[in-house]
Amino acid sequence: MKDLKHLIYFESLLESANNELVQQAQKDGKLAMGYTCFHIPEVLLNVDNCFSVRLRAPNTGSIDIATYYMSNYTCEYARALTERAIEGGYQFLDAMIGVDACSMMNRAMEHFELLQVNSKPKFFVTHTDMPYKITDYTLESYIKQMRLRVLDRMTEVYGVDTSDAAIRKAVAEHNEVCRIISEIAEMRKADNPVITGYEFHILCLVTYTCPKYLIIDKLRETLEELKQRKPDAKPQFRARVAIVGSEIDDPGLTKLIEGCGALIVSDRFCFGSTPGREVIELNDEEDALTQICRHYMEVAECARYISDEKVKQRRETSDRLAREYKADGIIYEQMKYCDYWGFERTLVSHVMAEEYGWPVLSIDRLYITAGSGQLRTRVQAFVESLEIKRIHKEEGKN
Amino acid sequence: MAKTPKFPNPSFWKYKDHMDIAAQVDNLKEIYGICADMAKEADWPAFGKHLLQGWKDFGNRVADEYNTFKGYSKDEQLDIILNGEKHLGRLYKSGSMATVRREWRGIRDTAYDFYEWGRMWYMLLSTFSRDLIPAANGMLYYRWYVSYFCCHSFMDKNTIGQRGRALRMSHELIYPIFRYVAENLVFLSKCDEKNGNCTELSKKVVLIDEMTMGQIMAGFPDLLGIPYQLLPVFLVSEIDQLTCVPYIDAVESYGLPSDTCPVPSSECGAIVIDALPHLGACFISSSMPCDGSTMASSYMGRRFPNLKTFHLCFPVRYLDEETVQCGAEDIKACIKFIEETTGSHWNWDAYFSAMKRFNQETAYELQKWEVNKTDYPQILGPCYELYRKWNYEMDGGTDPRIMKTSEKVNKLLLEAYRNKDEAWVGKMRHRAIVWSCPAHYYANFSNWAANCWGINVLVEMESLNFTKQLATDDKEEAMRDLARLYERMVMRRHTNGGYQNVVDELWRQCEAWNVNFIIMYQNVACKNMATLQGVLDEQGRERGMHMIWVEHDLMDPRTVSRRTMRDKVSNYMQTVMQEEPVDPSLVDFEDDVTW
Repeated sequence: MKDLKHLIYFESLLESANNELVQQAQKDGKLAMGYTCFHIPEVLLNVDNCFSVRLRAPNTGSIDIATYYMSNYTCEYARALTERAIEGGYQFLDAMIGVDACSMMNRAMEHFELLQVNSKPKFFVTHTDMPYKITDYTLESYIKQMRLRVLDRMTEVYGVDTSDAAIRKAVAEHNEVCRIISEIAEMRKADNPVITGYEFHILCLVTYTCPKYLIIDKLRETLEELKQRKPDAKPQFRARVAIVGSEIDDPGLTKLIEGCGALIVSDRFCFGSTPGREVIELNDEEDALTQICRHYMEVAECARYISDEKVKQRRETSDRLAREYKADGIIYEQMKYCDYWGFERTLVSHVMAEEYGWPVLSIDRLYITAGSGQLRTRVQAFVESLEIKRIHKEEGKN
Repeated sequence: MAKTPKFPNPSFWKYKDHMDIAAQVDNLKEIYGICADMAKEADWPAFGKHLLQGWKDFGNRVADEYNTFKGYSKDEQLDIILNGEKHLGRLYKSGSMATVRREWRGIRDTAYDFYEWGRMWYMLLSTFSRDLIPAANGMLYYRWYVSYFCCHSFMDKNTIGQRGRALRMSHELIYPIFRYVAENLVFLSKCDEKNGNCTELSKKVVLIDEMTMGQIMAGFPDLLGIPYQLLPVFLVSEIDQLTCVPYIDAVESYGLPSDTCPVPSSECGAIVIDALPHLGACFISSSMPCDGSTMASSYMGRRFPNLKTFHLCFPVRYLDEETVQCGAEDIKACIKFIEETTGSHWNWDAYFSAMKRFNQETAYELQKWEVNKTDYPQILGPCYELYRKWNYEMDGGTDPRIMKTSEKVNKLLLEAYRNKDEAWVGKMRHRAIVWSCPAHYYANFSNWAANCWGINVLVEMESLNFTKQLATDDKEEAMRDLARLYERMVMRRHTNGGYQNVVDELWRQCEAWNVNFIIMYQNVACKNMATLQGVLDEQGRERGMHMIWVEHDLMDPRTVSRRTMRDKVSNYMQTVMQEEPVDPSLVDFEDDVTW
């Protein structure tokens, strides 16, 4: 296929958390609100003169200092963020919106405070409590947390307008991005899609890490380009896979998987499009904050949600996506040392295989994986097994 | 004045079992087959040789002990006869599961110790005889069951080196824990579908996630709350550290990464190999204390899909008072769930009575702390530490018999304080605190540290929990208090809700207890604590604390053995402190398989 016009530019934006669009927005007088977790409604960090930056630590090398602080048996994403923060890589942030959803990420945010990694006089770190299940009282608590610990802090420290009108404006801008990404995502359902999993991952990552008002034009242009794009006459991929699991902000991983012949057609992971790029439908009867919180609780696919209906929802979503996007198999992945996804991946990779009948590859991986030969071998073997299954199916064997 | 109801509810014992005799016969045949195979495959000549060697070793040891004793001066001999032996490492033998003999504690204390040994046996036998057949039959189904036979060894281990009032207090404290274990073992066996199959009682059983506090059951005196995995997994591993190894292996073979905490891993492994009895009207799962435990509940759901489950989830940022109501509402929802599932009704009177007892027990606990903060700490060692944890977490005022124990122990405590007793006679060198996830029950660590190096653990992190008197008249506030209590459950109180709860809190406690030694347990799989190791280390050094980092992996001794754990302390004491041990025989000994 012909290269996408802006792909290299998008890739360059992902080379640094403090990329040129972030710098541009700050020159425009905007405030950078850092966050890491889906549980924080991204849209709330885009009100008034603020913009959200979902933190990554691209080009991570040594994480020795963070390992000293946080030990070597802990999530590398959390450690990479801490290391980058100590190096001064997040000095550009005006606030860090933390969640106490998983212990290691929470500790990473606490190190931002403890080690005073940001010297801006008004910089603050806030911590929020997250629900484990959806009930009326957990929703109420969630709303309260977002109001008191996020929005009110932004108003107190920076005078940000967090009124209902301001939130609705942010939702409108957010939805526009979501519509574009969703439309592009739909293209992956085609038998011979015009976009690769890697390209889609890059587009998604850009929407999470750049100010939306500065990126939206290029996203629109890319959408139009894709509509005209001609797929390769003969697909280069040997199998189609859905990915389900924990945080992936490293496009090197998607590149590695696709390099083994597996086209990624569905991305059910943090920093992916499901969840995260669903349009938020607001009505006028209820305040926007309540509706946003409810939306995030309902679409969340985080393994931390413990209640039976959410456990079921996660399995159903994986199955639905894999079917809708015509995947041949599912890759369940987890960031190494992640407790939530460690337990979830183990159990559900059995469930998906035994109850839903999906071929499953179950992997744990490091934060930066591009150079992992071991992982490459496992994906190659999985692709081969999918091919064999397809051949057997075509031949009428089991 | 209303009569205090009997505990446990006497009706629980009276329900009839519906044992499937044919299934028991089949199981016996299977057991017989296994035994026959073992007998067939056994190397009998080697076994005979081993037996003979054991007798030779016994003879040599007796001769050695006799000669050693003979070599002492008359005064030393008299001291040993009256006050007990000094070299406790002699009790251990490489490769042996039991100690070579019981400890000689001096005439008076040895006699008392034997009395307690007999009292324990009497309690165990009388409890088991209340429904003997299913209780004994449990051994034929569950391998963990057999490990409870080591409970006397556990008692001996936890009181090693103790004398006088300290010994008495330890025995008083450990006894109710074993009574609780024995009673619940019988109930588990009685209700287990594979065993006693007592359906009437099973309908009254509310299974509770083992790390979840039991106070909620105080409002349901007609129901039986059992911490489900406590007996098959957690508590038994304290008694016999090797029990959970097959569970961990099973779940890791299933695919679970080995970096997860062994507690939820073992729970899930027990599910994988079907080591949990089948019973109960419903299950209360929980998000506590940490991420791994949260996830273990989905394994329960997979194994027992028909067991109705309520997920009790509390806010993590518990210091934020804005979150308390959410916790209180979850408790109300849980109560409603239990009512709907069992047909029972929440009884405020029963709840308030239990919480009044719990408040009184908390007051007793604070008294213990006050004494231990002085220059004459009195109540030390694993029995006290375990009791505190059990009373706070499992009993929670529900058992009226515990009041007597608390009263008796605190009477002894004050007597000992007035008398300026030494908790470990002649072994009080350093004042220490234990921090992070403790492993000292598996390793009998605080006892060993005192006996070997004179390091006296005055308090451990897990004891320092919620001490507020709970509301016992205002119903709404009572729910909020219960939420506050649950949010501050053992471990969670410190490891959750922000670093201040474990870092700043440590320095505050060091000052309050006047300690300068910190036994810093480092569970290699505890992410909540591991992610603060650098900060703890830095701030500890700034404060001039002696921080001894002791790596461990809780109930998986293959990662870090007890001997390796002890070596960390011994190395520190020898190289940094340049000290000689109080008891050199305890510096290095092998106890890899010892109960």
